[in-house]
Amino acid sequence: MSATYVYGLVSADAELPEDLVGLGPSGKVTTIAHESVAAIVGDVPLDRPLGTRDDLVAHEGVVDAVAAVTTVLPMRFPAVVEEEGVVEELLAPHHDQFVRALEQLEGKIQYTLKGTYEQDVLLREIVEEDAGIRELHERIRELPEDAAYYDRVELGERIVKALEQRRDVDAADVLERIGEYAVDVSATTPTQPEDVVNAAFLVDREAAEEFEDAVEELGADTSEWLRLRLLGPLAPYDFIPQDDRTE
Amino acid sequence: MTLATQTQGGGHVDRGGGSGGGGSSGLADVVELILDKGLVIDVFVRVSLVGIEILTIDARIVVASVDTFLRFAEATNRLDLYGAGKGGKDITELTQGIMEGGAKGKTSGVLDAAVDKVGELLGGNDEEREEAPRRRPRQRTREREG
Repeated sequence: MSATYVYGLVSADAELPEDLVGLGPSGKVTTIAHESVAAIVGDVPLDRPLGTRDDLVAHEGVVDAVAAVTTVLPMRFPAVVEEEGVVEELLAPHHDQFVRALEQLEGKIQYTLKGTYEQDVLLREIVEEDAGIRELHERIRELPEDAAYYDRVELGERIVKALEQRRDVDAADVLERIGEYAVDVSATTPTQPEDVVNAAFLVDREAAEEFEDAVEELGADTSEWLRLRLLGPLAPYDFIPQDDRTE
Repeated sequence: MTLATQTQGGGHVDRGGGSGGGGSSGLADVVELILDKGLVIDVFVRVSLVGIEILTIDARIVVASVDTFLRFAEATNRLDLYGAGKGGKDITELTQGIMEGGAKGKTSGVLDAAVDKVGELLGGNDEEREEAPRRRPRQRTREREG
């Protein structure tokens, strides 16, 4: 029995880039096909647990390099199966589901956009605009740090609240401006007060340049207060149809 | 990151990830994509049959807490250092401000916990060193407070 790592799934007639390097000892990446679907597979290190930084980076590297040239369904890390199981347990039983998912995502790629406030700019604005916050801020400045502990907590809390209010408006603006270049959008609620957006965009391959230009333009317009980071083109991690559970 | 922006020729947006070599794609980005998303099929659950050990990677979400509030209060107080403030900050406070600035990473990422964990497993990777050691200055600041 040998273990096989599965990076993702492609159409059986897809051609993979030649220079893929996997996470196994051989580094080799190949495919195992069954009817119209193929699994992108490689070997697995047996002398150590999976999950190191290099493993993660290799998984992402393989999947996204494939995504650059063809439609791929990326697996969640880590996906290991017995070699015989690739067809018997993975491809054959789920064949139609995989075909449908690949068809749905055909010709599309993902971009992930992350936006964070330029903290100082926003803090300055908030302190200037909110008299209550300004007053609290002035009071804290007069006191030694320990004495002002609860005031500081309150100041921070009010600032966080003010940031979150602005974020709702700003995130909606960003999504509206960029969203029209995408066929689907999946936004995650940010977890840090200074985070504005964390959204995945499913974009037609042909529209990729247009999309990137729109993001760049947005970046230019908002550069004073918003720091944008664009990842991609990526495999459609956020847009995998999950109809498996019900079958 | 700023350097990456310039080499990409874009100017206002940092770029990372994807097939373009992914040079500037941080581990946190990778973790967020491949641990949290992607296709899950039940056959992989039986992975233990193959005798492969999988490291548990914890990507829990950090929620707003007193720590977060204090971080923003401190950041607000620091503004006066170079704003049109009334001065009065001495060098100790200035140093502290800088240290806390460096400690920002502590609570700034959803995936910091995971990144640290992953980082622990790998000695000596340069890239990873950038992300992990940010915790230290913050701890020192705390001791002073207590």
